[in-house]
Amino acid sequence: MNSKSETDEASRGSEASSSKNPAPNRSEEEPSTSLCSGAVTNRTEDIMKRAAARQLIERYFYQLLDGCGNPNCDNQYCASSGEARNLSPNEAAAEAIKLFYKEARLCDTLPNKVPRTEASGCDSSASTTCNTSKNKDDNKVKQAKPSTNVRESTSKEEEPQTSHNLSHQEESKIRSHNNGVPLTEERMYELCEECLQNKVREPLIRALGEAFTQPAILARCFASKTVTNSDEEVKMNEDKESKAMCLSSDPDKDVDSVAGPELDVASCRRAFQYLAKVPSEYYSSALVTSLKTLADNMCIDLRITKKMSIEDVVNCFVIAFEVPDLGCSDYLEIALPALCQAAEHLPLKGKARLARIWAQHCKDSLRHILETLQQLITLRVISTNYTRQFQLQDDEVVTMATKFMKIVYYANMLAGSMESNSLREEPIVIASQQDPFENVLDLYPPSSMKASKQSQPDDPLAIELDVNVLDARKPYLPFEEFYNEPLSDTIEMDIDFGNYKTEINKGKKFAFLRYPFILTVATKSLGLYYENRIRMYSERRVSLLHAVVGAAPPMPFLRLKVRRTHIIDDALVGLEMVAMERALDLKKQLVVEFEGEQGVDEGGVSKEFFQLIVEEIFNPDYGMFTHRPDSQTVFNMTSFETEAQFTLIGIVLGLAIYNNVILAVNFPMVVYRKLMGKKGSFEDLADWNPTLYNGLKDMLDYTGDDLEEVYYQTFRIWYTDVFGNAIFHDLKEDGDNIFVTQENKREFVEMYADFLLNESVETQFRAFRRGFLMVTDESPLAALFRPEEVEMLVCGSKNLDFSELEKSTEYDGGYTAESQTIKDFWSVVHSLPLDDKRKLLEFTTGSDRVPVGGLSHLKLVIARNGPDCDRLPTAHTCFNVLLLPEYETKDKLQDRLMKAISYSKGFGLL
Amino acid sequence: MAATRRLQKELNDIRQSGLKSFRDIQVDESNILTWQGLIVPDNPPYNKGAFRIEINFPAEYPFKPPKISFKTKIYHPNIDEKGQVCLPIISAENWKPATKTDQVIQALVALVNDPEPEHPLRAELAEEFLKDRKKFTKNAEEFTKKHSEKRPTD
Repeated sequence: MNSKSETDEASRGSEASSSKNPAPNRSEEEPSTSLCSGAVTNRTEDIMKRAAARQLIERYFYQLLDGCGNPNCDNQYCASSGEARNLSPNEAAAEAIKLFYKEARLCDTLPNKVPRTEASGCDSSASTTCNTSKNKDDNKVKQAKPSTNVRESTSKEEEPQTSHNLSHQEESKIRSHNNGVPLTEERMYELCEECLQNKVREPLIRALGEAFTQPAILARCFASKTVTNSDEEVKMNEDKESKAMCLSSDPDKDVDSVAGPELDVASCRRAFQYLAKVPSEYYSSALVTSLKTLADNMCIDLRITKKMSIEDVVNCFVIAFEVPDLGCSDYLEIALPALCQAAEHLPLKGKARLARIWAQHCKDSLRHILETLQQLITLRVISTNYTRQFQLQDDEVVTMATKFMKIVYYANMLAGSMESNSLREEPIVIASQQDPFENVLDLYPPSSMKASKQSQPDDPLAIELDVNVLDARKPYLPFEEFYNEPLSDTIEMDIDFGNYKTEINKGKKFAFLRYPFILTVATKSLGLYYENRIRMYSERRVSLLHAVVGAAPPMPFLRLKVRRTHIIDDALVGLEMVAMERALDLKKQLVVEFEGEQGVDEGGVSKEFFQLIVEEIFNPDYGMFTHRPDSQTVFNMTSFETEAQFTLIGIVLGLAIYNNVILAVNFPMVVYRKLMGKKGSFEDLADWNPTLYNGLKDMLDYTGDDLEEVYYQTFRIWYTDVFGNAIFHDLKEDGDNIFVTQENKREFVEMYADFLLNESVETQFRAFRRGFLMVTDESPLAALFRPEEVEMLVCGSKNLDFSELEKSTEYDGGYTAESQTIKDFWSVVHSLPLDDKRKLLEFTTGSDRVPVGGLSHLKLVIARNGPDCDRLPTAHTCFNVLLLPEYETKDKLQDRLMKAISYSKGFGLL
Repeated sequence: MAATRRLQKELNDIRQSGLKSFRDIQVDESNILTWQGLIVPDNPPYNKGAFRIEINFPAEYPFKPPKISFKTKIYHPNIDEKGQVCLPIISAENWKPATKTDQVIQALVALVNDPEPEHPLRAELAEEFLKDRKKFTKNAEEFTKKHSEKRPTD
């Protein structure tokens, strides 16, 4: 920490927070200590760029919010033109960032507005100086004083004496002064009223400053109490509280303070609602400064002095994050990062407590907290130019906000509906075949693969809270809101992956893959891709080593040779042999060869292989899976196929993920949940069999006493086999004589679902999952992806946006986006019906599914293939290249293209 | 063969209640999930005959709705040439497991008696029904005479 600029800033008091330069300087210098000198120039450039970006964004912000002041303004992004809609400060901030990206129009003159933060800063100091009242000047000094002390102690934080001094000061201040009285809802109301009526801000600012700068005081604010009506009682209460507070500062009496007043979140929220009625420029900069000081004080307490109880510190966090939208960038840039930093020092129990309190009492605030964190990260990411020397993972503002977001993430799950964690699939241990050359491997430098064979350590916070993402049936906020796209786009996945791998061993570097909730599926799948490739190469090396030792013939790939006519049989026999003899080979790169065809598998041939095999396996005539009218595939519980065959399907699914191929399967979500280790439950029926779910739900909602009469349902249920014969199953012994009643209906429904989703398909599913895990057991798949995201990995996302594809397509061999043939091509393509579009996709990429992240991630290349001629377009499916001769007319292009995509099976080398 | 108690009970209840508009219920003892019966409408132009229907109950009944189809051809805007009928009460979205089969049948008889041309399965018949009621009635009567079954005499 750079103590000079810290003290410097503190001595300038509240103004410091509003001036623009210190913040970036400071945060920039932290990582610099570890940098080599070569990075210095880069960094200064960086600072300049960031400052410029910040200024621009700020200008957009005020333009949106306040306008440029020109009555004749015609800029649609300016409030003065009347065309911009009214935005809340939060919305405006988000919008401003977008406008910055777009390089939207900025008005020339923004009188009084741009420097508003500075102005308000000056303003407050000006008002104090103008105001001759000695009293108020006094206050100003008082307000600044404690923070200066704190800063001094920061600079010498290693010396215990100073911290002792500090605590002494704090205590005496609390005891002697009535300044130490915690804020209450009533007091806040009075202050706000006073502020509004008399247009004086000082009492309010002073009260806020006093409350917020001292964690020990803040922790006692808005305490829940029983009697609040008469003033005297309030006072008495407050006295008690301040006593309790003194006690709490004594480490020996921590236990007592736990029994002290609890935080009343509702009261706190009401208090801030009053505050929100006061124009924010009255108090915002003061509050930001106070929050910053608060965060620093908490930081010190948590790291060194440890005087406060965890409960009190957590209370401080809860209150600090109830603070309403201040609508100023200083909050994002100064207060929030400091709070995140302080939170990092919270002990595990404290984080867990914070998550629980948020989940129980602050559901309504979760969205706001998440949004501001996202804004902080987004702003930081887009305004910083990351280099090899200063990576995203080194940016503490971002990493700490990400760490803090994890608490919000868990709180969000707890706030939603959770299921019992007893509904877990039994773990399946894949005993990798004993490798006869284990000793040889030991001679070999330990590969990273061996290290990661140890199971991934679980997140300690998740264990403390006892939450698992698999149990989160419906989180309070959708998981998608945790994705940060600018971050996901900026991140250098190879570096992050490296950090992720080393972190498992040493726990040093920051890896966003440890915080998978913030990354989009597309970004995470890149991480998985690295993992899988590295494993493939490692297996390849090992196999070469075996060959050198002379023990086995070299088998660097998982080679499959199949006949088109017997694709299933050949594949199943081939894979079965591998699975039985050398299960480890499944982790090698798959190379498929169709008998009698010349295609060399650079990815394209195996893509077609997967596609054909999936088509066959899921053919209803094949009987392994049943199809529902709503086109969801399920396991056939009355299938005659052997377990081995289901294992093989599992292997195919695993191989598809492992080899980065998208499959056209349509499993209901429950299959993915089960694959990830969660048993199916009643709620899963909603997606798998909606009609049955609705019928059962209807019975659950039925409240009449005559349920037995009306439903006449027993614990015997019926289902049909492949041939349509009805078969019954007793959920309980002698089920046909046990009627479903109001009392046991829930039990009935759960047993019913359990039978359908777990019991009846248990053998088949176990075999399937075993196969899947044979390929993926060592991959971080389960740690990185939720079941919904695994589905996206397997099937790709489901919408076809061809204009997105057009935008991302690249051209080669003489074509540009302006070429007539290219223009014709897109106008033909856009007019195609959906089915033909799918065919075109299949033709060019070997799969009609959309890759994760949408068509723009397809990386389609259209290359010129000679002048006008009669040849058909051709494609390299492994590289997604479409070869298009420069056809003379649009009609000819359409004709050739349609022919090509309609008769498009088989590989040939031209 | 044992069957769901609910279905057995409903069958007994319907047989005992002696519905005038739904008679001659035949159920194969080996498969209680399929019922056949005769719909006897009261309103012209369908009161000149009777129509055989089949009710198919899913194994999951009553948590899933039954399906109804006409075995006798009928000239009706809400019943197509294959005998399929669109009855809101047994659609997957509206189905309530507490609904009894006799209620379903009453709803069906009501639909036969009073066509709903606003939700047609056969648009051309619906149009004829709305624009030229006389012609519709005449066609339907002739069709009924030609294709329908005899009405029970009692």
